[in-house]
Amino acid sequence: MLFFSFFKTLIDHEVTVELKNDIQIRGTLKSVDQYLNIKLDDIQVVEEIKYPHLSSVKNVFIRGSVVRYVHLPAAAVDVPLLEDATRREAAQQAGKGK
Amino acid sequence: MAGGEEGPAGGSVSEPLDLVRLLLDEVVFVKLRGDRELKGRLHAYDSHMNLVLGDVVETIYTVDEDDDDEEIRTTTKKSEMLFVRGDSVVLVSPQNSS
Amino acid sequence: MDNPSIHDLPPQPGGSMPLPALGRAAAAAAAVPPQPQQLPPQMFTTAAQLLDLTDKKLLVCLRDGRKLNGVLRSWDQFANLVLQSTVERIYATTSPPSDPQPKGLYADQTHGIFLVRGENVLLLGEIDLDKDDDPPPGFEKADFAVVEKMAKERRAAEKTKEKKKLQKLATLGFEGENLGEIIL
Repeated sequence: MLFFSFFKTLIDHEVTVELKNDIQIRGTLKSVDQYLNIKLDDIQVVEEIKYPHLSSVKNVFIRGSVVRYVHLPAAAVDVPLLEDATRREAAQQAGKGK
Repeated sequence: MAGGEEGPAGGSVSEPLDLVRLLLDEVVFVKLRGDRELKGRLHAYDSHMNLVLGDVVETIYTVDEDDDDEEIRTTTKKSEMLFVRGDSVVLVSPQNSS
Repeated sequence: MDNPSIHDLPPQPGGSMPLPALGRAAAAAAAVPPQPQQLPPQMFTTAAQLLDLTDKKLLVCLRDGRKLNGVLRSWDQFANLVLQSTVERIYATTSPPSDPQPKGLYADQTHGIFLVRGENVLLLGEIDLDKDDDPPPGFEKADFAVVEKMAKERRAAEKTKEKKKLQKLATLGFEGENLGEIIL
C-alpha cells in the first residue's frame, strides 16, 4: 500500500505518465486506486502528432499494469518522509514473512 | 526466515529485498525490460519492486534503422523524480561499489 | 440499489458494526482528535474512477492496438466494460516516420454492443464532444478496406524491424518488452 498512499499525496499535481507502448501523457493526477490505476485530467500527449487517436480526449483512465514510469514533480515529494515510510513498510513485510 | 537473527532494522540480508533496503538513499543501477537502464538515487521501493528514484538518468538502447549494418545507439533522458513500475524491473544493483 | 456517489461520506467506523466492549482501547479511540480533512476512501477504488465515465462517450485503447469509440454503459471492479454504439477506428500514416507533421488516413467500422474484458484495456479516454466531429489533425477519412490494407502492411514492416532490433539488442542482454504485443 506504500505507493498507493504515496500517489494519494500527489493528487492535483501535474505528472507525466509513460506507458509501456512509449506514449507519454501529461496531466493533473485526479485519482489513483489500489492497483495504481491512474486518472488524469486536462491531458496533453507528448509528441501528440504521432498519436492522432488521442486528439479529442480530455481526461484518461490508465490501467496500472500498462504504466512504465510516472515522472513526478520533485518539489511535491518529501524524500525523507518517503524513505521512512519505505523502511516501515519493509519492516512490516518482514514481520509478515516470519 | 533463514538466518534471520536480526530484525528488518538490522543490517542482515536474509532475503533478496533486504539488499534493496540497504540501498535506500544510495545511487543504484536498474535494468529494465524494453531495452532501458536507469541510474538514480533510490528513495522508495515495495515488494513488487515498484521504485521511486531521484535525479535519474535513463539510457535507452535503439537500433539505427536506415542502413543494412545496423548500429546500436543510445539515447539518454533525465528526470528529477521517477516512479518505476515493478513489472518492468529486471535487476537492481548498487552503483560504484562491489 | 441507490446510486452511490463519490461525494457521499464514507461509512463511519463502527457505525453499523457491533460496538466493541468498552475498554481502554475504545476510550483511547474516542479521545483521538479529529483527523485532518481527508478525501473519502471510496474515491480511491477502480469503481469510483469508472463511475465518472459512465454514459460518456469514450475512446478505449486495447492491448492489441485497437481503438474503440463507444458509450460506456456498464463496468465492474476489473474494468470489464460494456460499450454501446461501438465504432472501431483504424489509422494508416502515409508520411515517412521522420515527418514532424504526419499525414494519413482513417476509417471507421461500426460494431454495436461490445463487452471488453478488463485485462485487455490499456486506457480509457473521455472524448471532448466539442472536438469529436473534427478529424484528427492531418488525417482524412477513407474507405475502410483501403486503410486496413495500408495499416496491415505498415504493421508487418514494423514487425520485421522489431525482430531485427530484438536480435541485435539480445547481444547486450536485452529481451525486448512485450514482444510486439502492444502496437500503436
